[in-house]
Amino acid sequence: MTERRSAAILKAHRRRQALKTALVHGALILACAVCVYPLLRILAVSLRPGDRIISTDLSLIPQGATWVSYARVFAETNFLFWLWNSLVITVATSLVGVALASTAAYAFSRFKFPGQKLGLSFLLGTQMLPAGMLILPLFLMIMRLKLMNTYLGMVIAYSVSSLPFSIWILKGYFDTIPRSLEEAALVDGTSIFGAFYRIVLPLSTPALAIAFLFNFTQAWNEYLVARVILTDSFKYTWTLGLFDLQGQYLTQWGMFAAASLLVTIPVMAVFLYSSKWLLTGMTLGGVKG
Amino acid sequence: MLAPVLQVAQFALLIAGAVALLEGWLHYHFTRHEKSWFVPVGVLGTMALVLAGAAAAAGGSVEPSRILSLGTGTAIAEVLVALFFRHVVRGRHSLPIMLLAPAALGLGLLIAYPLVFEVYLAFHDLKLTTIMAWSRTGDLPFVGLKHFRKVFTSSPLSEVSFWQLLLRTVWWTFVNVFFHVAGGFVMALLLNSVTRFKGLYRMLLIVPWAMPQVVAVLAMRGEFHSQYGFINIMLVESGLGPVQWLGQHPFLTCTIINVWLGIPFMAVVILGGLQSISRHYYDAASIDGASAFQQFRMITLPLIKPVLAPAVTLGTVWTFNNINVIYLVTGQAGGTEDADILVSALYKAAFAFYRYSYSAAFALIVFLLLFTFSMVWLKWSKGSESLYD
Repeated sequence: MTERRSAAILKAHRRRQALKTALVHGALILACAVCVYPLLRILAVSLRPGDRIISTDLSLIPQGATWVSYARVFAETNFLFWLWNSLVITVATSLVGVALASTAAYAFSRFKFPGQKLGLSFLLGTQMLPAGMLILPLFLMIMRLKLMNTYLGMVIAYSVSSLPFSIWILKGYFDTIPRSLEEAALVDGTSIFGAFYRIVLPLSTPALAIAFLFNFTQAWNEYLVARVILTDSFKYTWTLGLFDLQGQYLTQWGMFAAASLLVTIPVMAVFLYSSKWLLTGMTLGGVKG
Repeated sequence: MLAPVLQVAQFALLIAGAVALLEGWLHYHFTRHEKSWFVPVGVLGTMALVLAGAAAAAGGSVEPSRILSLGTGTAIAEVLVALFFRHVVRGRHSLPIMLLAPAALGLGLLIAYPLVFEVYLAFHDLKLTTIMAWSRTGDLPFVGLKHFRKVFTSSPLSEVSFWQLLLRTVWWTFVNVFFHVAGGFVMALLLNSVTRFKGLYRMLLIVPWAMPQVVAVLAMRGEFHSQYGFINIMLVESGLGPVQWLGQHPFLTCTIINVWLGIPFMAVVILGGLQSISRHYYDAASIDGASAFQQFRMITLPLIKPVLAPAVTLGTVWTFNNINVIYLVTGQAGGTEDADILVSALYKAAFAFYRYSYSAAFALIVFLLLFTFSMVWLKWSKGSESLYD
C-alpha cells in the first residue's frame, strides 16, 4: 500500500519535473527566436526577387528566391572598395594599438615607478569621457593636417581609442606570468628587452590575440568617426556604405540585406569563436579582486 | 591597389620614427647624464630636432624671427630638463619610462591634447562662418563663457532643451541597465538550469551582441518600419492598427532596440558568475528548507555581486555613451529630436548643426556630469579597489 503510494508520488514528481524542463526549454527557444529573428529576416529580404523586395511577406525563404541582390551589391555599389578600406584601416589600427599597448602594459606590470597609480587611473578615466567628446577636436586636427578622406587620417583617429583597454587586458595577463622566468634569462645575460621579446611576449600570445581582436572589432564596426572624416564614397568604410544603402530608398533593401549578411557572417564567426576569451579579458579586472 | 599600402607604410614609418626619436632622446638623458658634455650636446641636439620638426611641419619655410624664438625657447627648456635629469632623476626608473613612452606619446597627442584643444574651443568662437579663416590663420575670437551660458539657455539642437536631454539621459540609462540586468538574469538562470542544448542556446542568444552593431541596429530599425516591419505586420494581422514607431515613438523604439542589443552581454557575464557558485550551497539551503526565492536572495545575489558590479558599472557608462543606436535609428539633421540623449545631441550639434565651439562647451559640461557621477559611484561601490592589484 505505502509502496504504491510512494511510487505514485514519485511519478507525479517526475511529471512535474518534466513539465518544468519543457517550460524552460520553451522559454529558451522563444528567447533564441527573438535574438536570431532579425538576422533571419535579413536573409529572407536578401533572397527576394527584384519585384517583391518590398512586401509584407514574412516567409523565411521567399517565393522565387534568387541571389540577384548579392550580384547587384557587387555590380552597382562600391561594396568591394568599402570592404577593402575597412580592412586596411582596421588592420593598421590594430597593429599599432597592440604594439603600443604591449610595452606600456609590461611597464605597469613589472616595475614600480612614480605616477604608476595615476597612470592607471588616467587609463580608467579615459573610459569615462563622453562618447563623441574627442571626435570634434580629432576632426579639426585631421582637417588642418589635410588628412580628410585618407587612410592615414582614419588610422590616426582610431589608433589610441582602444589603447587603455588593451593595456588593462595585457597588464592583467602579464601579472600572471611568473617573474622567475625573466630573472633566469637575466642571469643568463639577456637584457630586459630581450627577456620581454623572447620570453614574455611569446608566452602572452593568447592575450595579444585578444587585444588584437578587440582593437579589430572596435575599428571594424566603428561608424561615427568615419562618418565625419570620410566623405568620398570610394573611401567609405563598409559601415558608412551600408547606412547609405538603407537610408535612401526602400528599393535598395535587397542590396542592403545582402551586403549586411556578407559582412556579418565572417564577423560573427570570429566573435562566436573568441567570445569566451574576450569576455574573460573584459571582466578580468573586476573578477580578480 | 598600391596607394593604400603606401599610405599605411607611411603611417607606420611616421609612428616608428616618432617613437624612435623619443626613445633616443630619453635614452640619451637616462644614460649619459654623468658625462661632462651632457648639457651642451643635449641642448644642441634637441634644438636641431625641434627646428627640423618645425620646418617639416611648415613645409620648409619658417620665418627667421620664429626660428630665433623657437630656438631660444627650446634651449632654455632643454637646459632645465637636462639639469633635472642630471641631479634629480639620475637614471632612476629609466626602463619603465622608456617602455611607457610610445603609448604615452600616442595618448598625449590623441587624447590629452584634444581635450586641451576642446577647452580652448569652448572659450573661443568656431562655427561655420569662422572655420575657413581659422584653417588659414589659426586665430579665433575669444568669447569667454558665452557658450557655456548658451548650453543652458538655448537648445543644443533646434527644439529640445539641455534639461530635457539630461532627464531623458538619466531615464534612458536607468531603463536600459535595469532591463539588461533583469533580462540577463532571467536568461542566465534559464540557461543554467538546462543541461541539453546549452551550448546551442548560448550561441544563439548572443547573436545580437555578436552581430556588428551597425547591422543589428539597422536591421531592427527595418523591423519597426510602419508598413513592412515585422512588428506592424503582426499588429495589423491581429487587428490592432499600425503604430508609427519611428515617427511618433522614436524613444521607445530606441529603448526596445537597445534592450534587445544589451541583454546577451549581461546574460553571459551573469551565467559565468552562476557557474562559479558551488552546488553545495544550494543543497545545504534546501535541506534547511529554504525556498527557491530565498536561495536566490541569500546565495545567488551576494555571490554574484563581484561579477555583476563591474559589469553594471561598465554597462551604465556604455548606455550613457550610446550614440550609435539613437543616431542610426533617428538619422541625421532634419530627423526627430524626441529620442536624443546628451551624447547624441552633442554629436549632432557639432556635425549636423556645425556649432563647433558650442558643442565643445556642451561636451565639457557632459564630461563633468559623467565624471562626478563615476567618482561618486566608484567611491560608493568601492569598485575600483580590486582593479589596482
